[in-house]
Amino acid sequence: MVVPFVYAFNILNLYFFMFRIMVLLILKTKFERERTMDGIIDIKDLCFRYSQENEKLDLSHVDLHVNEGEWLAVIGHNGSGKSTLAKAIDGLIEPESGEIFVDGQKLTEESLWNIRKKIGMVFQNPDNQFVGADVEGDVAFGLENQGIEREEMHIRVKEALQVVNMQDFAKHEPVRLSGGQKQRVAIAGVLALRPKIVIFDESTSMLDPEGRMQIISLIKQMNREEGFTVISITHDIDEASLADRVVVVDDGKIMGDSLPEELFQKGNELIDLGLDVPYPQRLKFELNKRGIQTPSEYMDEGSMVNWLSRSILKN
Amino acid sequence: MVKSIHIEKLNYVYQSGTPFSRRALTDVSLDIKTGSYTAIIGHTGSGKSTLLQHLNGLLKPTSGSLTVAGNHITSETKNKELNELRHHVGFVFQFPEAQLFEETVLKDIAFAPKNFGKSDEEAEQVAAKMATLVGLPDSVLDSSPFELSGGQMRRVAIAGVLAMEPQILVLDEPTAGLDPKGRLEMMEMFEQLHQEQHLTIILVTHQMNDVANYADHVVVMENGGLIANSTPERVFSDPDWLHKHHLGLPQTTAFAAKLAKQGVPFETLPLTEKQLAEKLAELMPQSGGELHG
Repeated sequence: MVVPFVYAFNILNLYFFMFRIMVLLILKTKFERERTMDGIIDIKDLCFRYSQENEKLDLSHVDLHVNEGEWLAVIGHNGSGKSTLAKAIDGLIEPESGEIFVDGQKLTEESLWNIRKKIGMVFQNPDNQFVGADVEGDVAFGLENQGIEREEMHIRVKEALQVVNMQDFAKHEPVRLSGGQKQRVAIAGVLALRPKIVIFDESTSMLDPEGRMQIISLIKQMNREEGFTVISITHDIDEASLADRVVVVDDGKIMGDSLPEELFQKGNELIDLGLDVPYPQRLKFELNKRGIQTPSEYMDEGSMVNWLSRSILKN
Repeated sequence: MVKSIHIEKLNYVYQSGTPFSRRALTDVSLDIKTGSYTAIIGHTGSGKSTLLQHLNGLLKPTSGSLTVAGNHITSETKNKELNELRHHVGFVFQFPEAQLFEETVLKDIAFAPKNFGKSDEEAEQVAAKMATLVGLPDSVLDSSPFELSGGQMRRVAIAGVLAMEPQILVLDEPTAGLDPKGRLEMMEMFEQLHQEQHLTIILVTHQMNDVANYADHVVVMENGGLIANSTPERVFSDPDWLHKHHLGLPQTTAFAAKLAKQGVPFETLPLTEKQLAEKLAELMPQSGGELHG
């Protein structure tokens, strides 16, 4: 009979079809995993010196890997080379040797402009970054430079100002803004260009405490909600504590790569690395000096408050 | 105690008499004692900088008066008379290293005393002394100030201000942009100048920890007026008031306030970690062996 044969054939065919889909799915996930392993930034054996007369390298055999969507904090004392590293990634300085890959593309003279479109940089002093006559004009400046159409420009400026919560200030003059607000406008200018990576080079260090907290929570929002890859070069312990990973730069070399909470256990050593000692650590140190034993593991502020109040209030 | 600075009903209006006139200071009255360490806090635009600029005659009051180190200044004071005042008040602005310009560190520090009429030799003697005072090693005196690290460049600039041998040192966010270690060293250096050279110090800062650690007096400004003029203990004892005025607490005080919420008893909130640790040590069970793990 013909009919059962057709059934049999169809079932076989179906099995075969399903098998093919499974193989494809497995291959696809494997491929995707490999892609993310590539990282959005890969630095291989990078060396740089500012002047040929310098005996010492200003960046010395740096290897660094940054994953897409990651928040990486780079710490180190003044003059350690951390800002130089950021400049190298953006192609602002030319390495002596080594390679930099950004989003799968090798950084060369030819690829430079394409790569810079993928990277936004926010610097320390908000006053040095203002070019427009009003907030809107300032955010539009980078877009004008790239020859973006006027209509598209309007949309992007509006969007960017919304992300940094400065839409109500579109027509304001920069002089009337606080430091934190100016820095938010600078960030909007960067966002309007739709980069994949945003590098913050000590962007909170000149702000008052309120402005500082605003920018830190904005960085967090950009990373966690908007999916930007963030590199923050910082001396700020609060900023570093929010990162996924902290890299320590000293003397132009990468000296450490760890989770924030691992790093914070170092106590007073952190001062030499260009960071403050987290408050609970400092308090522990003072308590130990007075003969009070404290738990040895790292505690953040919340757990330190809990531990202290429990120990005091139980008797 | 002698009054180093006496300010009475000081008013200042920018572009007074024009359609653009803007009131920047309103009826500010303030006394600062010789040898004291006063912190001025408040937001951008609160009038801090305008007030500071009166202290060395960069601005003259629109009405009211001030007396600084024996010099009385009103709206009538001639600009020439302000020279004397500038001998007595040293100003460290934000990023003072931006003002370095000489070929060597020593020459840069010696510039001001030379300008105020000292001979080359005298000026360089003073300069060498001040370099030591701010912790610059002798080895850098003959190098260019631009070859130094950021922290050291700032020390050169500060030595230049000290070389005028002022009685009053005004510091406008002197640690901005330095890393935590540089900040601490700089603040300890000012403390030493305060203790050993008996300089009257006026510090404008956003760093509440510095206020708690170093100042004996705090002035809080808002909208061109003083809203508090007291001790750090008093000002920081009211977190709600500070919060209302968008001002922070020193880390210790903020931490102690959290403990207080959990029921840990404090009569007054401590300002420094040493004070807090002291208090906690009293409250904690003392037998060291009791703690497990």
